[in-house]
Amino acid sequence: MARILTIEDDAVTAREIAAELQAAGNDVDCVGDGRTGFERALAGGYDAITLDRMLPGMDGLELVSELRRAGVDTPVLMISALSDVDARVRGLRAGGDDYLTKPFAPEEMAARIEVLLRRGAGVRETSLRVGDLELDLIARDARRGGVALDLLPLEFRLLEYLMRHAGQVLTRTMIFEAVWGYHFDPGTNVIDVHIGRLRRKVDAPGFEPLIHTVRGCGYAMRAP
Amino acid sequence: MSAGEAAARQDGLSGRWRSSTKRLILVYGAFFVAWTVVLIGAIRWQTANYLDGIVDSILEQRLRYLSSVERAHLPALLAATTQLDLRGLMASGLFDAQGHYIAGDVDHLPDGLAIDGVVHPLPEGVQRISGERAGRMHAVALRLGDGSVMLLARDYRVVDQVGAIIRSGLLWALSLTLVPGLLGGYLLSRGPLRRVRDIETAIQPVMRGDLGARLPVSERRDELDMLAAIVNRMLEQIERLLGEVKGVSDSIAHDLRTPLTRLRTQLHRVQQLGGDGDPRNQLVERCIVEADALLDRFRALLRISELEDIGRRAGFGTVDVGETLRRVHELYAPLAEEKEIAFALEADAVPALRADGHLLFEAIGNLVDNAIKFAPRSGHVVLRAASEGGRVVIDVVDDGRGIPVDERDAVLHRFYRSAASGAGDAVGHGLGLPLVAAIARLHGYEFSIGDNPPRGTRMRLWC
Repeated sequence: MARILTIEDDAVTAREIAAELQAAGNDVDCVGDGRTGFERALAGGYDAITLDRMLPGMDGLELVSELRRAGVDTPVLMISALSDVDARVRGLRAGGDDYLTKPFAPEEMAARIEVLLRRGAGVRETSLRVGDLELDLIARDARRGGVALDLLPLEFRLLEYLMRHAGQVLTRTMIFEAVWGYHFDPGTNVIDVHIGRLRRKVDAPGFEPLIHTVRGCGYAMRAP
Repeated sequence: MSAGEAAARQDGLSGRWRSSTKRLILVYGAFFVAWTVVLIGAIRWQTANYLDGIVDSILEQRLRYLSSVERAHLPALLAATTQLDLRGLMASGLFDAQGHYIAGDVDHLPDGLAIDGVVHPLPEGVQRISGERAGRMHAVALRLGDGSVMLLARDYRVVDQVGAIIRSGLLWALSLTLVPGLLGGYLLSRGPLRRVRDIETAIQPVMRGDLGARLPVSERRDELDMLAAIVNRMLEQIERLLGEVKGVSDSIAHDLRTPLTRLRTQLHRVQQLGGDGDPRNQLVERCIVEADALLDRFRALLRISELEDIGRRAGFGTVDVGETLRRVHELYAPLAEEKEIAFALEADAVPALRADGHLLFEAIGNLVDNAIKFAPRSGHVVLRAASEGGRVVIDVVDDGRGIPVDERDAVLHRFYRSAASGAGDAVGHGLGLPLVAAIARLHGYEFSIGDNPPRGTRMRLWC
């Protein structure tokens, strides 16, 4: 069970966040203003923080940089009514944190928290394995049931991301942000088409499917 | 509108202006010349008539006088007349009945001159004894009582000379009036023309969508200033109204997003409650797709607003254009492949740009997404970057139905979708191109939509 701190001044949103995260089996503390939130986060003991960008007392972006200066590296999911055209948000993401625009789908928020919670795990691994699918990160080699898969560099990156987060739900936006490194709506069904192509290679006929569509949400890689 | 097209249009406008001023000056000059020629003609004709009368009456008067003096004094009188006529205007002769010379300075009666006491024009003139022959003359011959014939002639050249003086005088007047007139007209016309050109330059940002720009108003407070002030007032009003409309649509988008997101969440939960085989789930799925489409629209709308407000906060840095294009190509190639579209990338060595790399990627991505949507199945899309005149030009061309010329500005505005280009069949929220336009404005780039002969559209970013 993870401990999550929710710093949010809007009571309705705070309740929504808490409900969704508790449903996923987390322990959630809610705080209504920036100053108190900063002190609680500084005290430590949290696995992740959800943070409103516009808070009474302290700006969200400022709060994160203060925390980092103080040596606290708890992952932060910033939630804001402002979209992320602001370059400062990219800096935040580069620091390993995440950003979500209000209003958000609760399951997207939960999926992002899930990814943040597992951040750091398996970073130094040299190979990944899901079922009979193996990925050698050094040799850039993918095998399913011992047979080599012919993947393009982009497909390799996509598969690596899915495998690193095996068992987690990944939304299209999260996939696009992580694999391509851009933060906008790429339009049409670009991500679906990429996943479809990867799927034809990874889940060839005769193999148990590993890439699953999570309806209305995104994709997940799961061992059979 | 690209820089080239803008320049062509600008040239076209001032070109027409120049030629209309020139035409005005030319018409004025031609009218002036024609009027002067008519005036010269009239004066010359009247003067000639008047002088004609004088010459003839002098001849008649003299004839009457000489015919009344005694015949014996006539030779002496004729000689005296010749002597007194210092300018040699008169010629005279006295002949006997057989036409033999008796006295005077003419020793032959001119051929064909009727001896009837009436003045006749004599184009050849008369031959004087001195051998001198004047040109045109008027002459009169009269048979006297004793059968002898008296001839009197007067030089007519004086009338021609007066005519020449009038003509040259008027020609001088004409050139002295016409040259400074035309020159002055040209110089006078240049002043307002220059100011019109200033106004044209000042209005360019407005045409590109920057409604904050205003026309220059000088201290003179003349007609052009009045006009500029009127246009400025109009622009203020338009800017205010557009701001209101934008504010309203932004706040609608903003306010509707929260309930819409909640609606989508509820639908998602309903979907999760039903089993995989539940036919109602398909209905719920369609509702979710619709809700997502609505949310996408609102997101894009607010994103455009934020782009317009962000100004300097964008993350400008050095961007490798070739690399950006390659990544856009990589992202959209599978989409093109699904439609069997040949999607080519042509990025020669182009200089790096100072830009917000993320936003540039988004803009080009939107253009490519658009081109793939509108290209026919098995069509062609080309993503191209080149260096032209020190600027980077990024083109996205397709061979779809194209966008009609009169709709090209409109598609850059929110929610406009071209009816003719078949956008109705394609998915999209009609905000892709306005988003590109907003990103272009943020960078100070020009974004234009042109033709891709023989068929299709060329979207161009002049960076």
